[in-house]
This record gives sequence, C-alpha cells and structure tokens, in this order.
Amino acid sequence: MPPVPLGPPTPLAPEELARYSRHLLLPELGLEGQRRLKAGSVLCVGTGGLGSPLLLYLAAAGVGRIGLVDFDAVDASNLQRQIAHGTSMVGRPKVESAAARIRDLNPHVAVDAHAEALTSANALRLIEGYDVVVDGSDNFPTRYLVDDACVLLDKPNVYGSVYRFEGQASVFNWRGGPTYRDLFPEPPPPGSVPSCGEAGVLGVVPGLIGTIQAMEALKILAGFGTTLSGRLLLFDALTTSFSELTLRRDPDRAPVTGLTDYDAFCGVRPAALDPALIRVGATELRRRLTDGWRPYVLDVREAYEAELAAFPDTDRLVPHARVAQVADDLPRDRDLLLLCRSGVRSERASAALRALGFERLYHLEGGLLAWSRDVDPSVPTY
Amino acid sequence: MNVRVVLPSQLQGYTDGLREVPAEGATPGEVLADLDRRFPGLRFRVIDEQDRVRRHILLFVDRERTEDLDRPLVEGTVITLVGALSGG
Repeated sequence: MPPVPLGPPTPLAPEELARYSRHLLLPELGLEGQRRLKAGSVLCVGTGGLGSPLLLYLAAAGVGRIGLVDFDAVDASNLQRQIAHGTSMVGRPKVESAAARIRDLNPHVAVDAHAEALTSANALRLIEGYDVVVDGSDNFPTRYLVDDACVLLDKPNVYGSVYRFEGQASVFNWRGGPTYRDLFPEPPPPGSVPSCGEAGVLGVVPGLIGTIQAMEALKILAGFGTTLSGRLLLFDALTTSFSELTLRRDPDRAPVTGLTDYDAFCGVRPAALDPALIRVGATELRRRLTDGWRPYVLDVREAYEAELAAFPDTDRLVPHARVAQVADDLPRDRDLLLLCRSGVRSERASAALRALGFERLYHLEGGLLAWSRDVDPSVPTY
Repeated sequence: MNVRVVLPSQLQGYTDGLREVPAEGATPGEVLADLDRRFPGLRFRVIDEQDRVRRHILLFVDRERTEDLDRPLVEGTVITLVGALSGG
C-alpha cells in the first residue's frame, strides 16, 4: 500500500534502534517503515476511551509527533476505560495527563497538547499540521466536524466508535475511499442514541477499537498491509465476534465545501454552556485544593445566598449577570474557579469571561449542592 | 425465505436484548415487516415515513449495503443493520 506522503525520513538514534527492535525485525515495516513513523504525525481527537489506547500505542510505536485535542479534565468515572490516565491525575486536564504519560513511555515522541474543544473555528488550523487524524471523540457534532475537515484538507480520518458492548472502526477519506458522510449523511435524531455516559460501555470495548485505530494509523504512516478503507469493522463483545461490511462512496452525496454549525446540524442544544470550560467535580476539587491548588475563587451567586451557605476561601462574590462588568478586576494570570448553587450560573458566567479572553477557567460541577453532598455536609443546601 | 437479522445495540431493546433473530421474507422490506409483527415498533426505527432506510441506519444484505427494500433475498441471507454510534 502506498503510504501517506511525508517529509524526508528521519534518522534513528542508537537507543531508538534498540527500542524499536521488534518492529525492525518485521520485513513489512523494517528500518524504512520505522523512519517513516518517526517522520510522521497523528492528531488524536479526544483522549478518552478510544484515545487512551490509541495514543499509548502510537507513542510506543515511535510516531514522531502526536497531537492531542481535548477540553476535558480527568474524572474518576473515566478510569474504568481511559487507561492513559491515572488516579493521581483526577481533576487535571486530560491532555496534560496524556502528554505526561506519553513522555514517560517514549521520550523520542514530540507531543502537542491542545487543551481545547475542536470547533469549526479551529479545526482546519489544528488538523492541517498532521499527516493522519484519528477520531476518538464522543459525540456526533465532532464526528461530522472531523470528517468534513479531513475532506477539505485531504487527510485520512481513522474512525472508531463504541456503545455498550459494540464497536465500529473504519478508515475514511483515504485514497478516494468513502467518508463518514457516505455512511451516515445525517445524524440520528437528538436523544435517540444515548451516549456511553447514559447507557454505559464495557471498558475493554474502546480499548479494542482504539487499538485497531492505532494500528490503522501506523499502516497509513508506514505503508504496510491493507487498511480498513472501504470496510466497516463491527465488534460485539457479548459474543466476541468481529464482522466486516463493505462500504462505498455515495455518488449522490453533496460535496463538502466548508465547515458548518455542527451542533445545529446534529440538533444538539445550542452551545449556551462553554465547551472549553474545565469542569471539576466536588471530590476532585477537594483533592486538588488539598494538593495545594490555589485558584482565584469567584462565587457568582447573589449576596443573600452567600449568607445561607458559603464556600471556604472565596475571593470575590459577584452575581453572575454582573461578572463581565468586573472582569478588569479579575486575575488573568491565575486559575479562576467559578461556583454557584448548582453549576448553571457559573457555566454561564464562564462563557461571558471566555468571550472576554479569559483562558484559565474552571467550574465546580454541580455547584455547592455537590460540594455539600460529596465533601462537606456542614455546608447547608437550599 | 428464512434469513437471519443482526441488530445494533440501540435496537436490541425491541428483541429482549437479542442481537441476532431469525426472520422470514423474500425481500428486506418483507423481513422488516415480519420483524415488526413480532417486535412492534422496530421497523419504524429503521424505515422512515417515505419507506426509505433512515439516514443514520445502514442495511446490509450479507456484506453489501443496500437501500433497495425490494431486492430479492436468497435462503440463509444475513441482514445486518448498523446504527450510527458516537461513543468514544
């Protein structure tokens, strides 16, 4: 298989020859293939269930540069499947956690950590700098965005998706092969397909599918074997069965000419809530504060509410509707933790601050209600 | 014509959790009608009001994708329905 075009092959240092010796023994890969891996780059969209095994195997295999895109923070509920992250990283940005893991696994790999959501505004810029894109996202708008951006930039899109005990994998937009839109021209009606967060997923299922995605990315970079382009691989964990279906381009599909509003396309509720905000659960917040984290704490409730129930060490109390008016008084060089009673107003306030250029925004998920329930029952609820 | 139908997770609620069910029919349309008699509501999740396969569902006859609900089937065919998933 002709591989993806890359820059000139990069020489391998002696310690790399030892590290990759089991690859070098494979005639299909060999020294040339290993050099191609080092010269290549992969962008991982998402560092969760699919992204975790994927980025670990790409790093271990010696891909020269790995980009990570994820706006989220590590949560304890992630650890059942997101094996790139550890208990000590709960509450930390996922890209930070994954980047640290990659550097420990293979110091010869360069890591670009993009702690932001992939959006129509940044997708082309982010994807343009990589040879291969791997979609490990967890929602339909991002999947359509990744696919369209890859079509516009002529990048292969290595696809994987999971739900409960089921997984799918393929390679899209590779050498004239089908794209995601050739399969699914339109997303399901909103709410008709529950997310893994709602319906659950067996942890090893994204492990398997993400590993297959890593394998496909390596094949595209190094140019060995045959990819899943034109084929949809289905996995069922309950019966431990793989099946394969044939995919073709849809000749009647409208061409992709630009990016669009994918939340609107997928019927997702408007992005009133800030997707780039890092949400911190109450128990994670306690852990981080115990570990020495000292954010500027901004309580966005009304004054009378603060008298009913207070959060310890609050720096400032400003009703959420007035946050933009006091923005000049807020620090931009510190982490800013916003909180309110249930978490709704603090999300709104964070959106207002992000629009004003604030970047280090955190938010107590579930608000003081969660703090009282999970951490300090002496804080009254109201 | 006896065929087998493989269902995606999101439709297995109609079949008591069964991933694969036997069915009868000379075409995909007849097979789906047979399934709907035994598992009411399932067909509507696959076929829209214009009698077309929904845009987020794929229908395969053996390994080949088709949108032709009148396509003749042979004995022992496996019909696979695939739904769009987003989880990751």
